[in-house]
Amino acid sequence: MMNRRDALQLLATGAALQLAPAKMMAAFREARAVLAAQSTLKTLDLHQDATVKAMAEMILPRTETPGAADVGAADFIDLMLTEWYQDSERSRFLAGLTDVDARSQDLFHNDFVECTANQQAVILNQLGEQMIEDELTRAEAAKSVGPPPEASSSFYSMLRWLTLTAYYTSEDGATLELHYQIIPDRHAGCVEITLPKEALPKEGPQPQ
Amino acid sequence: MSETTLYDAIVIGSGMTGGWAAKELTEKGLKTLVLEAGRSIVPEEDYVEHVPAWEMKFRGTGDRLRMRNDQPIQSTCYACDEWSSKFFVSDREHPYTTEAGKPFRWIRGRQVGGRSIMWGRQSYRWSDLDFEANLRDGTAIDWPIRYADIAPWYDHVEQFAGISGEALGLPQLPDSKFLPPMELNCAEKVVREAMAKHFPGERVLTIGRAAILTQNHGGRAACHYCGPCERGCITRSYFSSVNATLPAAEKTGRMTLRPYSVVHSLIFDARTRKATGVRVIDAQSRAALEFHGKVIFLCASALESVRILFNSSTTEFPNGLANSSGELGHNLMDHIMGAGAVATIPGNEDRIVLGRRPNGVYMPRFRNVKTRHREFLRGYAFQGGAERDGWDRGVKQTGFGANFKQSISRPGPWRFTFYGFGECLPNRNNYIEIDKEKMDAWGIPVLKIHCAWSENELALREDMKITAAEMLAAAGGLKIETFMEEDPPGFAIHEMGTARMGRDAKTSVLNAHNQAHDVKNLFITDGGAMVSSSCVNPSLTYMALTARACDYAVTQMKKGEL
Repeated sequence: MMNRRDALQLLATGAALQLAPAKMMAAFREARAVLAAQSTLKTLDLHQDATVKAMAEMILPRTETPGAADVGAADFIDLMLTEWYQDSERSRFLAGLTDVDARSQDLFHNDFVECTANQQAVILNQLGEQMIEDELTRAEAAKSVGPPPEASSSFYSMLRWLTLTAYYTSEDGATLELHYQIIPDRHAGCVEITLPKEALPKEGPQPQ
Repeated sequence: MSETTLYDAIVIGSGMTGGWAAKELTEKGLKTLVLEAGRSIVPEEDYVEHVPAWEMKFRGTGDRLRMRNDQPIQSTCYACDEWSSKFFVSDREHPYTTEAGKPFRWIRGRQVGGRSIMWGRQSYRWSDLDFEANLRDGTAIDWPIRYADIAPWYDHVEQFAGISGEALGLPQLPDSKFLPPMELNCAEKVVREAMAKHFPGERVLTIGRAAILTQNHGGRAACHYCGPCERGCITRSYFSSVNATLPAAEKTGRMTLRPYSVVHSLIFDARTRKATGVRVIDAQSRAALEFHGKVIFLCASALESVRILFNSSTTEFPNGLANSSGELGHNLMDHIMGAGAVATIPGNEDRIVLGRRPNGVYMPRFRNVKTRHREFLRGYAFQGGAERDGWDRGVKQTGFGANFKQSISRPGPWRFTFYGFGECLPNRNNYIEIDKEKMDAWGIPVLKIHCAWSENELALREDMKITAAEMLAAAGGLKIETFMEEDPPGFAIHEMGTARMGRDAKTSVLNAHNQAHDVKNLFITDGGAMVSSSCVNPSLTYMALTARACDYAVTQMKKGEL
């Protein structure tokens, strides 16, 4: 019986490609079943989870400090989708994920997670442009008479807020990236930045 | 069940003023029962200021669906977050009603320490500009006291509480007995210089005067700048009744503190014309209890204290105990806030703040101080401050990748905010009454609140927006944006005026010593006593009035007058 580690290795390295096609499909099925059985995901399915992981890591990649994947951003996003958002917001987010694949299929004939890094960047840029446009439309609508504009955030701005929150409020994000100290060394109102002791004044996230 | 003990004093409420009454009365030798409706607070367990976001389930974004359900009103307060929402009441257990079209936001804390655990800590003396205001412009009734009456009591409470701040010598905002001030940050220093240059002698920017210790004081430790005071403070560096006054009362050995004691009403003896005791519902067992005392201090907040008096009606006082004037519950005030401006202050890009200063800046009132404004009475003060934008600015940007990550991990522009707090005029039409249709979780009739801003308050708020932008422009601010949050009354959490002091028993509930005209052994020393609202944060004045009233009550008791 395949364990979680074997399954991950199989899927990640493509070791199964050396098997006969029928056996390969069976091996993939088994690997996915093993992972699904062990997954603690409550809202996202494995494909959605993979998409969220890929997008989050693109926004905040591992550099000399950990990235979004290292701090488990997708797990936090799954928790928020399950226990924090209302049904309508959750649906909007999941529809947004479907739209990401629709865009990548349309442009590159592949799901987002199967695209190259350059292709994925094209999609993220598109989503960014759409986010700015939506923002302007909302601002314009707010000025005009009639019913108030939809105040809700788009999928991509939800994803960005969730990813940044997951990262910067994680222990690694806060301490390694922001040099946050629970109890600071001292207080001073105006001092020169001395890297790497630089400490950001902000701690908490700003809900959208 | 009636307890047989006869206490020298019963204090109702253990928050900002109840804590002071407990300390002053026990230190003067009175055997004192303190009744608190909520639970006990154990600092070692309940204070969570050092719990980092990554140990919180929702990383500090709050248990949103639960809070929307249980605390839809409380959770609108900035301080009611994932850590500290436990210090705010459940709106479902503590309902109140309002008149259609007149919303009122009542933010409440029911536990030992009350709202003194989550308060904003801003501490300012009022002046004769405030105490003479009603007389000068012919509004409502005159205060029965002047600055000289309360000044020694400001000294008294400040020396114990510890107020950090900068002495300015301004008549409209008298200096306290200060501990050293906290430091302004880079951008605040720029704005301060600009104010001195462009508005000399009129507008002064200073560090907030805060009940936070900047040096060790009275057995409490200096602030260590961890930041979120509203979650508690294990070093007891900011003033609260849990951190300061209740331990002092406890030390005398004369305080009995009883949590879970929901006061239903007072017991009035028509023969002696005194309040002889208190009817309590035990919040856990629901048992009805009675406690007896020689003098009673109502310190439950402007709204709760009056609710208790309304629920204490007798044949002699059918409209509420101590309400022969008919003024009880009327003249409800708050501060009008939420207008101002924000701007980027260029320069100092290579400089930052170390630590998280739990305090902002303050600009004392400048309208109707030396000159007369044509469009409104009274005035407003600004609070606010500067900080460098944080990582959250990246949400609205479109970037991604290594460069984006590096960019938003670094401090952003210096952003300075002016946020106004304006004076509210006493108005008899703003009032509270008992809503006989609705009960709280303990079966006690709730309040119906009738309150709305007047033209004068709205004019003040409009002016805040304009002067804030004008000052940021003078300071070289870029990307200046004005704002106006149209909050309903109550949201400044400075509700006051519902049992006002006065010289005449026909037009006021309390005399100049917070003593009920109608019931001599009854004192109300919370915000209910205020005759006007000033634009200045009121807690320090509540503290001073409480200590002063305790001194008077004990003196009268010794003379056999009570």
